[in-house]
Amino acid sequence: MKTEMDFEELMDEAYGLPNGPAKLGMLEEAARVADVNGMEEEAYEARSEIVETATFCGYPMKALIAFSWQLGKFDQQPEEYDEETLMWSYKWILGKMPDFPEISREKILELLEDFGRRFKSYGYSERSYWYYRFRIFMDFGELEEAGRSYDRFRTMDRDFMSDCEACEQDEIMRYFLLKGDDEKVLEAAQPILKGRMSCAEIPHLTLSEILMPLYRLGRTAEADKHQTKGYRLIKGQNDFVQSFAEQMDYLTRTNPAKGIDVLEETLVFAADHEDPYAKMLFYARAASLLRRWVEESPEYRLRLPASFPYEGDPGDLLKLADYFAEYAQTAAAKFDQRNGNHHVSSLIE
Amino acid sequence: MTASNEYRFQVNLSGMIQILSNHLYSSPKVFLRELMQNATDAITARTEAEPGYQGEVRVELTGTGEQLTMMVEDNGIGLTEADIHEFLAMIGQSSKRGQQAMLDGESSFIGRFGIGLLSCFMVSHEIVMLTQSAKGGPSMEWRGKPDGTYTIRQLDTQLSPGTKVYLRCTPDAAHYFEPDYVKEALFYYGALLPYPVTLHHDGAQHVVNSETPIWLMDPALARSRRSEVLAFGERLLGEQFQDFIPLTTASGRTGGIAFVLPHAVNLNAKRSHRVYLKRMLISEKAENILPEWAFFVKCLIWTDELQPTASREHFYENEKLEEVRSELGDALRKGLADMAESQTERLQKLIRLHALSMKALAVQDQAFYAMIHRWLPFESTRGHRELGELIDEGETLYFTSSVDEYRQIHHVASAQSMLVINGGYIYDSELMATLPMTVHNVRTERLQPDQVSMSFTDVPPAERNQYYDALRLADSALQRFRCRAEVKGFKPSDLPVLFTLSQESSTLRALEKASEESTELFSSVLGSLSSGMSSAGYSTLYLNVSNPIIQRVLTSPDDQMTPIAIEMLYVNALMMGHYAMSKQELEVLNQGIVRFIDWGLRANTDRKGDA
Repeated sequence: MKTEMDFEELMDEAYGLPNGPAKLGMLEEAARVADVNGMEEEAYEARSEIVETATFCGYPMKALIAFSWQLGKFDQQPEEYDEETLMWSYKWILGKMPDFPEISREKILELLEDFGRRFKSYGYSERSYWYYRFRIFMDFGELEEAGRSYDRFRTMDRDFMSDCEACEQDEIMRYFLLKGDDEKVLEAAQPILKGRMSCAEIPHLTLSEILMPLYRLGRTAEADKHQTKGYRLIKGQNDFVQSFAEQMDYLTRTNPAKGIDVLEETLVFAADHEDPYAKMLFYARAASLLRRWVEESPEYRLRLPASFPYEGDPGDLLKLADYFAEYAQTAAAKFDQRNGNHHVSSLIE
Repeated sequence: MTASNEYRFQVNLSGMIQILSNHLYSSPKVFLRELMQNATDAITARTEAEPGYQGEVRVELTGTGEQLTMMVEDNGIGLTEADIHEFLAMIGQSSKRGQQAMLDGESSFIGRFGIGLLSCFMVSHEIVMLTQSAKGGPSMEWRGKPDGTYTIRQLDTQLSPGTKVYLRCTPDAAHYFEPDYVKEALFYYGALLPYPVTLHHDGAQHVVNSETPIWLMDPALARSRRSEVLAFGERLLGEQFQDFIPLTTASGRTGGIAFVLPHAVNLNAKRSHRVYLKRMLISEKAENILPEWAFFVKCLIWTDELQPTASREHFYENEKLEEVRSELGDALRKGLADMAESQTERLQKLIRLHALSMKALAVQDQAFYAMIHRWLPFESTRGHRELGELIDEGETLYFTSSVDEYRQIHHVASAQSMLVINGGYIYDSELMATLPMTVHNVRTERLQPDQVSMSFTDVPPAERNQYYDALRLADSALQRFRCRAEVKGFKPSDLPVLFTLSQESSTLRALEKASEESTELFSSVLGSLSSGMSSAGYSTLYLNVSNPIIQRVLTSPDDQMTPIAIEMLYVNALMMGHYAMSKQELEVLNQGIVRFIDWGLRANTDRKGDA
């Protein structure tokens, strides 16, 4: 392979690759080439692709950076660019914002309003605004407010800018999960589990989310089936770090040996993940899993990926568990501070 | 409400036929497949009633022009009048085993007789079927038209048991009735059928499918019949293959041959495996029967345990399919494992051609990775090499995570004789990161550009003291770019400076650049993110004391000249490293050039003045 390629070559090459860090690298290279050569339209095009690829392979910060650049350009010359694609990306960006604890609650709500205002100005249905409001307040742990938005968004018409039904349904499930209503979670999961609703990420996400509710209801035979299937769907993809965490949470209780396999296979994705929220959950579940695993196999040496920054002895599982737990607690404290409650730390207790 | 208020949908049959034929099937040519399926089902049914019964299918072409007619005849079970009503009068009534069997997905039959026959309306305005049931009763004639009307009558003569379907071709469909085409198509669909299919035309007779190869039911036998299998693959799949892997599932109800594609394929290439259900071709582009990663093979697969979708071109995504898919995947993997064990050259050849597929699979599957890792190719400071050779060097394998990082440091790294692998290509850095978990006694380490400095020579304190003033000037000049200067000695000596940045400082650069362009709201959001980052966000400009120019800059610091020289070296390093520059940096570049020209000209004038 050549080391220096022109913009078109890079984009072609990138289009030929599946989503992942390699494709992202290729696109960033294309954006760089476009920037250096003052090719603004091309730079915009490359960034559109970066936003999409980065959003779905664990680099929400890169997505945000590219999107910010795009939005600035768009506002300067709105007639030059397609607003639909950009506004569609805005949803992804908005959905990820609460995952960064450095971004204040006020800023996120300002973004939500900016988003709503833009959607309104193009005549899109307000459903998207209320749906994202619902999601954001769930992220803040303000379930009453989330509930009010939930009631609103469900009565509004869908349009072509709405998230797909499967994704919406998955968020509805999350709402009941946060409310601790396991029966309702499973009820909401039905259309997805029956295959009536699906998309590129559903049922992938769903199959891991329902494991703990099923476990708490004592329906482990069912859960085991979903676990196997769910893991097969997400294996090897760094977009699903939070799902790996959910898998470990369940396996810690039912089959820690299998949980350790999941941990070893997926730590490499979590360690390099740009989403602080997903990474926090993963580390928290990894800590509990290791503590459980010590009881079973105290001699075990965990295989850590080469890039993993842990300096200690991987054979001392309790120390390693502390490392994970401390990381998770520190992150959770930042979220709590931002949200002004104890919602996030309560999730990892 | 009373029962009398119940109504039935009034279905417009000709509309339905339109929809079925234009939207359900991928092409009119499938009519032949549907007829063959019906014939196969009829023979299967008769064989079930009379074990050992020998079926056959005859296809005959007669007439020319508007009279061109195709007749497809089987000696299967045939239909009674009641059967005709059941299958043809009620579309959707499908299996001779009744509805429940169909719902359960277990049926000995491939087709859905009634619906399948409708596909013939894509090539003919009339379908005539003559049939005699093996159970007795009178011979029957059914004539159907595309508007949904049909007639049934009893024939005076008694035919032998079986069914004949006559189609008179429409002008658009004439090429589907050409003898050469029909012969190829019959082979295509029926190559694996366990009974003879013959084509009769112009008084000549061709047997379309020769004897069933014995490796068909026992793919393990294929290994010893290499040339036969390859020739069969070429005839059926139209490509000259050089290698294959036999596949079987535990139940033995699904098997096949995975032909290794003789050319590299794109990762997103459409999978097009050819699948035979009950030995009858059902799909030529089954995408979901093999795992995603199996894109380096084109397979012939035969199965009798999967349930086709309504179009008969794919299989229902159900647990059975999932099980079959994973077993076929295992068989393929096992084939590769066997090669790794006993035929490494063969595997090496395969990996050279399909390195990307192999890497994709290795990322997902550690055991597989362990098995084939030695033959995977990588780009390194020792050239393009197979991983095994690189491992044998016995050194730590450093790897970068992007092409960009690799480019920044590979000159310096190779001058320091560090073994660095370019992890920027797809899957490569993931493979490097997981290598130590997979293979024992191998060390890999992610190399950040700022880590090459590890192998630089430190400048002794006494000497460093000498550079104190110059360094202070340099640091203060670079401060506004979040960069600091450091003095080191490194090879190659003709490189004056090396600019490196950690992942974090790289993110910071990107944040700042986007911030310059974005809306106020987003700029402030980006601002919150960058303030959350630590001081590790500083990049480093290494000044190479082994370089003569740098020596001069360092040893005669000049309050005016040095900061500008350092700034210029900084922006030059950015350009060499292909970094996108911020507005501030571009300004430095422009002003610096103008200033140097100015100085150059003035020095020149001064000299002239001296003279």
